[in-house]
Amino acid sequence: MTNTSTAPTIKDTVSLMGVVVKRLLLLVCLGAAGVLFLISPAGAALADHVSEVTLANGLKVILLENHKAPLVTFQVWYRVGSRDEESGKTGLSHMLEHMMFKGTAKVGPEEFSRIIAQNGGDDNAFTSTDFTAYFENMSADRVKIPIGLESDRMRGLLLREEDFKTERSVVMEERRMRTEDSPKAVLSEQLAAIAFQIQPYHWPVIGWMQDIARYTVGDLKKHYKTYYVPANAFIVLAGDFKKEAVLPMIEEAFGSTPAGTAPVQWQDKEEPQLGERRIVVRKEAQLASIEKAYHVPNLKEPDSYVLEVIAALLSAGESSRLNQTLVRDKQLALSVSADNELVSRDPNLFSVSADVLPGKTADVVEKALLAEIKLLQEAPVGDRELEKAKNQLEAGFTFAQDSIFAQAMLIATYEIASSWRDADTYVPAIRAVSPADVKRVAQKYLVPENCVTARLDPIPSAEQKPVEPGSPGKENIVR
Amino acid sequence: MRRTASSACIALLCVVASWTCAFGLPPVQRTVLDNGLVLLVSEEHSLPFVTINLMVKTGAKDDPPFGAGQAGLTASSVLLGAAGRTLKQINEELDFMGANMSASANKDYTTVSLRVLKKDFERAFPIFMDVVTKPTFPADEVKKEISRTLAAIQSSEDRPGRVADRAFEKALYLGGPYGHPTEGTVESVSKLTREAIREFHGLHYCPDNAILSVVGDIDQRSIDGYMVPRLKKWPKGSTPEKRIEIKFSTRKETIKINKPVTQSNIVIGNGGMSRDNPDYYAAQVMNYILGAGSLTSRLMEDIRNRRGLAYSVASTFEARKYPGPFMVFLQTKNRSATEAIKATMENLERMRSELVSEKELEDAKKYLVGNFPQRFSTQSRIASFFAQVEYYGLGLDYPEKYPSLINGVTREDVLRVARAYIHPDESVTVVVANLKEAGLE
Repeated sequence: MTNTSTAPTIKDTVSLMGVVVKRLLLLVCLGAAGVLFLISPAGAALADHVSEVTLANGLKVILLENHKAPLVTFQVWYRVGSRDEESGKTGLSHMLEHMMFKGTAKVGPEEFSRIIAQNGGDDNAFTSTDFTAYFENMSADRVKIPIGLESDRMRGLLLREEDFKTERSVVMEERRMRTEDSPKAVLSEQLAAIAFQIQPYHWPVIGWMQDIARYTVGDLKKHYKTYYVPANAFIVLAGDFKKEAVLPMIEEAFGSTPAGTAPVQWQDKEEPQLGERRIVVRKEAQLASIEKAYHVPNLKEPDSYVLEVIAALLSAGESSRLNQTLVRDKQLALSVSADNELVSRDPNLFSVSADVLPGKTADVVEKALLAEIKLLQEAPVGDRELEKAKNQLEAGFTFAQDSIFAQAMLIATYEIASSWRDADTYVPAIRAVSPADVKRVAQKYLVPENCVTARLDPIPSAEQKPVEPGSPGKENIVR
Repeated sequence: MRRTASSACIALLCVVASWTCAFGLPPVQRTVLDNGLVLLVSEEHSLPFVTINLMVKTGAKDDPPFGAGQAGLTASSVLLGAAGRTLKQINEELDFMGANMSASANKDYTTVSLRVLKKDFERAFPIFMDVVTKPTFPADEVKKEISRTLAAIQSSEDRPGRVADRAFEKALYLGGPYGHPTEGTVESVSKLTREAIREFHGLHYCPDNAILSVVGDIDQRSIDGYMVPRLKKWPKGSTPEKRIEIKFSTRKETIKINKPVTQSNIVIGNGGMSRDNPDYYAAQVMNYILGAGSLTSRLMEDIRNRRGLAYSVASTFEARKYPGPFMVFLQTKNRSATEAIKATMENLERMRSELVSEKELEDAKKYLVGNFPQRFSTQSRIASFFAQVEYYGLGLDYPEKYPSLINGVTREDVLRVARAYIHPDESVTVVVANLKEAGLE
């Protein structure tokens, strides 16, 4: 699928077996819309099924009733992520996310998760460039429990020195696991670092290792005090509940929390590049890899939806252009993808990437990628192919409404980037894209002077021993 | 291209059982067709799409000797061409509908699945059926599939956790098909042929060796009037009954694999149990306390929360058709490898030597029972849940029975299963690390 999304990083638990909320999940969610009613151009809109209430202290509550199963997801979203950090203290938002499980005056360390588990629920949290989010998936009759616990840690987090010291080590282990030992993750991190010179998307969500080692409890306290206030947060509740019953509970738990001040969220934007930027990462790896990224607008500009369609034309489904040409016909790449960061608070990147098959070179693969981009710029896309891409995006949007968790994520990520109401824009905006739009947008953005190219040149490791497919993928969310 | 729609009568039957559940769990209807296919249907109309999940009861367990990867390659190859359609035609048609079709194998079974909008169901289903029942395995495409599989196997060497898993299974199983990776090895996959794939498909992809779950926006009329007549045309097969002998290593050993990584990836474990083992539920409770309760398990509490040694540490029983492993896995910086292994072993010993507390037992039960409905959060989870219930013979009333299966477990049971199924003295430990930094050279 194509996608959207800003770059998150994840907190918790989670094992090898992969419970980590990865980018994929987010992507799917964002590609998804609404709810158990479809958002179709003619049909009901999300706006008709979601309601929004703002408490007296400014805390926004977004509610989506869905009674198909007796479950709810309760989520608190803070408008703070790595984009709000400063050089030298990168990863602070993610560190704070970990510390949110370390207790308040009322709830001991790890007690939060223990209480949720005793009630049959699952909880976790994740951080991205643009947000930090906490969720509890529960039986509907237990909804009051996460409401009470989340309101407690919104204002009463203790941030003890001894907990911080241990948890910092955990976060370092997390960085080793996600980034240091994954050649592709290193490549993506390096790419972002040269693509963004001004915007804070320059640094990774999890932070540089040196910064993780550097910050103090004082830094965390300041971050918490600045960003964890009702004026800078919102709640999303989706599932089997009655608004009249649940709103008073939320009001009671959160209503007395002082509003605080919404921090200034403005970030300077990138200046146009003066020419193509290229980097090489040399690291022990089995396969070479190449990624080409282009600066593009986010959902606030109509061209962003054209880029969604372009990403679908290139890599959605086995019959897409990159899959057909690079993977099947020419057998140059093990896998390919095209991603568009649509639902992003600040302008982000559109990228194409490929893992190079043994015996082929990154140069040849790059030429093939460029040939596909040239084709988009020169030859108008056929009606049927364009229709196919739109059908895929619309079907994907529908499929991704499968769980209430995904529905809540969709609403929330749009709310972070602009407004949850903009999720209703997705399908109509995709449907409106014409062959001329595709050509024009490809010519405007997918040009060398707007491009950052990152290549992974493998250093063969001393001992070689073979053996399953799948790449670690780009980690955008860190738990 | 589509098969002619016959309005035919449907005496579906042998058995029709249906069950609607107590706690708002999804309803399901079970039917066995004349050709032996088990059909499980769960209607849910809030979203306009359908998920179909065909479970074929063959997986790496049926790979021939020296043919590791056979089941996996057969699964991915059914998608390469079918009946009158080329690979390109299949992909074009499905993509135009925005549908997703996939096929893959695990140790025990193969899953071919389709997700499609309700409005396109009758265009996509015939493709699905052709892929399952009439794949053509075009020689050139199969050849490409083999070379892609080989590249994927090579690429997975960059995932230290995967490298550790493979080494662990190889050492734990003294021969037999559970000991090799589902995707095969470079050596074995290079030798797989189109002929072998065809033969494997013919033998195993039969209605009487399969379970079809259908979940989502589909109604009884469309099942009886449209699907079943087509399903009945799938001729019965004669899949041979085959039992696998499992032999576990009981010699304590440590396998060290050197890699230029910053973290050691560690797997520790021993031979475990099959899914039909009566101790399965006690073992689930025990394992929740030990290492499955996300942030709150003993291993997490000790190794992550107290010592700060790892981001993730967990234990699991892979309860399969035949006995699978019990294993603990974690990652920690190279120089803490020894401490983390020692701490893990102490936790395993403690599990075997003393009763868990009343509170630990109660918390585990509350979570396991209370969390059960979360298994039904998506169509594909529902489809795979019912398929597994059928495959492992758990009975359609499994969700109703589950609470009592868990709540009946005592502290003594927990201790007994810990002693019976956790064997630090007979364990295999795999460490994939920069061995020099880890002090393990």
